[in-house]
Amino acid sequence: MSQLEHKTFEQKINRRDLIKLFGASVVAASGIFGASEKAFAKNAPNVVVLGGGVGGSSFAKYLRFANPDVKITLIEKHPEYITCFRSNDVIVGMHTLDELTFNHQVLQSKYKVNVLIDEVTGADFSKKTVKTAKGETLAYDKLVVSPGIDFKFADTEGFDAEVAAGKFPHAYKAGAKTLELRKQLINLPKGGTAIIAPPENPYRCPPGPYERASLFADYLKVHNPTAKLLVLDPKDRFTKDGPFKKAWERLYGFKTDNAMIEWVSGSEGGKVNRLDTKNMTVETDSGNHKADLINLIPNQRAGKLAQNLGLTNNSGWCPVDRNSMESLLHKEVYVLGDSTIADAMPKSGYSANSQAKVCAQAVSDTLQGNQLGKAVYANVCFSLAGENYGVSISAIYEVRDGLIQPKGGSAGVSPITDKAGLPILEATYQKNWQRNFVKDVFS
Amino acid sequence: MNHRIIYGFLAVSAMNSAMAENINPIAKGQAMAWQCAPCHGTNGQEFEESMPPIAAMPAEQFTKAMLDFRQGDRPATIMDRVAKGFTDEEIKAMASWFELQPKKQWVDTSLEEAQLSLDATRGQK
Repeated sequence: MSQLEHKTFEQKINRRDLIKLFGASVVAASGIFGASEKAFAKNAPNVVVLGGGVGGSSFAKYLRFANPDVKITLIEKHPEYITCFRSNDVIVGMHTLDELTFNHQVLQSKYKVNVLIDEVTGADFSKKTVKTAKGETLAYDKLVVSPGIDFKFADTEGFDAEVAAGKFPHAYKAGAKTLELRKQLINLPKGGTAIIAPPENPYRCPPGPYERASLFADYLKVHNPTAKLLVLDPKDRFTKDGPFKKAWERLYGFKTDNAMIEWVSGSEGGKVNRLDTKNMTVETDSGNHKADLINLIPNQRAGKLAQNLGLTNNSGWCPVDRNSMESLLHKEVYVLGDSTIADAMPKSGYSANSQAKVCAQAVSDTLQGNQLGKAVYANVCFSLAGENYGVSISAIYEVRDGLIQPKGGSAGVSPITDKAGLPILEATYQKNWQRNFVKDVFS
Repeated sequence: MNHRIIYGFLAVSAMNSAMAENINPIAKGQAMAWQCAPCHGTNGQEFEESMPPIAAMPAEQFTKAMLDFRQGDRPATIMDRVAKGFTDEEIKAMASWFELQPKKQWVDTSLEEAQLSLDATRGQK
């Protein structure tokens, strides 16, 4: 860290600095494993996985680790998966969507997972079958559902899926709409106003809206320095708010007359009640705000598939057994990731991957008649408060009093110090984490 | 502070009950070690990024690093926080497991190779 001591919080760090610090980092060659036909026993148990995102893909891989003999089928609608994490980087041009796009080829070739590009239309829990849009009926011994999130547009008047598909992308699932938001940011008039409105808890990637705000400011500072960014929040607190706000002070003049970011909390009337698309205005508890770019991130609930299969309760999310991720509503059905009620665990890719591993072990143990172990989960989230300024939150979790809770004294966020090297290191780790993590999920 | 003592106590009781339930501590080590993969690579086998690889790390080295992180004796970004989540026994169980993992990139490791090292760890009761 000593080599970074002379750096200021605003200073750019280049590749040479990093190589000096860490040695040349080489992009790993992707291993190509020829698809091989493994013959499974006729009576081998069938595990069917719905969803090829982080939860579903991690589960399939780690179930293969836990059990070489089980038949695994993964059903995913799209042949490719674009990660939501790091998609904020795409909005400001630090990454391309291609770099966030993955497929399930290694799951098939290395882990002998049968991947079907298809869509599940229903399940019969008594017969233990699922039906697909292409007309397949698949029997399962264990069903694992990892369906992501769905949006509650109706919570904001004037907002709906059609509006979001047009000029008001939430860009909270990565894809074409991420690029639309990028276009809007680039085309923001000189000295214009952008609004980001984060959702109510709970929602996917709790730091996501604030990282997005940070990266918007990072971009505008260079390309449109007289522009303003207004964050209209229904909440009074948000994750890592201490380190985020300190970074905003250091980088974007937060709380000064020249502030590039202004944050309006729920108590201050930040909650957006209505979107007026014609007049480019949002109505909040504290009055109307006109802007040139409006990015409303809707409130959320469990993915549509979880709702359709009856895996959600009144909260809109899926209750699960905390030691196995088995649904509390349907036996032999497990739910992973953002859709679940996981107590202290945030809805993050890391959490979905963590839950997938606990679930893979639990499913394998159950199929083999072994006693279940006690679950240990983890979550680490690195966010960028600026291109070279990282903030993190992390915790190890255990099940206590029937709830997933931080284990030991492990829960915490980045300390606020006057050492400029620390946030630079966290930004570096963030980039390393992304490359590592997708390998743990997809290869 | 009180909470920490209570957590510590509960963690120890959890470990004791795991032993009472005759759960192989190495198997428990594996389940915990899997949780390290997002940053350190599958089975700790990521040798090309700034987070250090853990595969094949001598158990003593792993244990010392974790204990130093936990006590705040080693500079850290997040590992000081992460290490506070584990008891001495849990750290030892992970250390024994990681020591037996192949010292090569995960993408270059076949499932069969990985399985061999896992079988070796399973044998350690």
